[in-house]
Amino acid sequence: MRRFMVILKMDLVNLFKNPVLVGYNTAFAGLLILILGYLCGGDYADSNTAYQYYTVSLIVYGMLNGAMTASNCFMERDIKRANLRIIYSPVGSFFVYFTKMTASFLFNYILYTMLLLILCPLLHVSLGSNPVFFILLMAPVELAASAFGIFFCCVFHCEETTSTLLSTVINLLCFLGGTFFSLDGMGSLMSLITKISPVRWLNEAFFTLSCDDSLRYFWPVFTTALVLSALLTLGCGFYFRTEDYL
Amino acid sequence: MDNLMTVSNLKKSFKENNVLKGISFEIRRGEVLCFLGPNGAGKSTTINILTAVLGSDEGEICFKGDKISKKLRSYKQSIGIVPQDIALYEELSAESNLRFFASLYGLYGSRLDDAVEEALIFAGLQDRRKDKVKTFSGGMKRRLNIACAIAHHPELVIMDEPTVGIDPQSRNHILSSIKKLQNQGMTVIYTTHYMEEVEVISSRIIIMDHGTILAEGTKESLKEDIENEKRYIIEVEENGTMGHDEFFAVEGVKTVKIDGNTFEITSLKGVENLDRIIALLSDHGEKIRNITSEAASLETVFLKLTGRKLRD
Repeated sequence: MRRFMVILKMDLVNLFKNPVLVGYNTAFAGLLILILGYLCGGDYADSNTAYQYYTVSLIVYGMLNGAMTASNCFMERDIKRANLRIIYSPVGSFFVYFTKMTASFLFNYILYTMLLLILCPLLHVSLGSNPVFFILLMAPVELAASAFGIFFCCVFHCEETTSTLLSTVINLLCFLGGTFFSLDGMGSLMSLITKISPVRWLNEAFFTLSCDDSLRYFWPVFTTALVLSALLTLGCGFYFRTEDYL
Repeated sequence: MDNLMTVSNLKKSFKENNVLKGISFEIRRGEVLCFLGPNGAGKSTTINILTAVLGSDEGEICFKGDKISKKLRSYKQSIGIVPQDIALYEELSAESNLRFFASLYGLYGSRLDDAVEEALIFAGLQDRRKDKVKTFSGGMKRRLNIACAIAHHPELVIMDEPTVGIDPQSRNHILSSIKKLQNQGMTVIYTTHYMEEVEVISSRIIIMDHGTILAEGTKESLKEDIENEKRYIIEVEENGTMGHDEFFAVEGVKTVKIDGNTFEITSLKGVENLDRIIALLSDHGEKIRNITSEAASLETVFLKLTGRKLRD
């Protein structure tokens, strides 16, 4: 356990010392919410509604992009060589990917929670009558995203390929899930695609929590994300080979 | 010296490419075993298998009598690895890197503090301990790269070309450090392209090419086995009349090269003829200024074994 904590701490230090990742998950995400909320204010009843919509949907988008933070933490070229020493050391290979997954999860979870704590009072965005549920639900979703990123790395053995694939998949799912704008008015086929997009249901869960004060989707999303994280972690164990690091 | 490690019939292929074709060797406790070979010889693959990061297709590796696959954790605890590339966190200080990598081997508290201090002294980086690695020169990084591998006092240190691309001063520092490690009782496996390094540090040498071991032994025994000639370089004050033919009258002389006032003579080993060559020169009125007798170099040994130069 001591060695697990030592590696986890180092992974967190490396993530927090990476200005690109910190900037992307704080300043960039915040600016995107402000810009889209401001520009699309006219499409909603008032600008507050636009900020409400984009804060929730872009936080979900940011959390899903945590998969790329994970792949970066795991196999980014500059730290991959140093990480090789972890593989040389007498720690189990499970620690190698599980610490990265945990570190990415904590990194993104901390940053997005802080972002929400700053933006919500500033933009009068509601997270529901009890914001704890909203913040609590973010945890398994973020964990699943991190597990997804690490799993892709284990399968494709390369950060660049993983990032390209993940970026495409996440952006496509978010686009189809109506993260950036609603697709409901674009015909019955698009409406159907939107309905089957997992991101749509993820957004739905966070919106019902923040706008309707309803826990209707809370437990289904919470447990599904946890089960998915566990399955992806098992998949990492199946696909991870130490020689991929050479 | 007793055997620390035994490697038997190691084979490895990458798709159709047979990189290791069943190599076997032993590593003796306290020695510096150098692997010498050109690119593609199979040195790095051998090292990667010895570090237990890469699996072999066939073969067995025993460390202190036990198969490493059965006691993997204890084996990894007993070895330190210096990879070919610099494996350090550039954004962190030298001390933070050492502290982290040493703690992966279970060191903490005062033992960790002592280990880090010793490793900093070993690398000659006490004054730069708090500086970020990215501000270091190539040589300093290389030294720290080695220090990170030995901080936990391993029994066996595996070094894969640890001196690539560094200045002569840092290279000398590293080579003398390896000698120090050996004096402290550590066993070292060392791969390199550089013949001079092997000459300086090796206890034994394994020459590899195309995934096989071509020769194995001490540098003296390798030279002895291969070389059947000796070479004299004789410098005279002023060469007046001496030509090639006169030398061939001396028993054992095979070739003669004359370059101004210098004679380069190769002679069959085992024929003691230096006194006759000197007498011949005196008879022709030559005043000898200097005589050197050159033993076969490892470069020659390598050339004879592989048919190519090490850096071809």
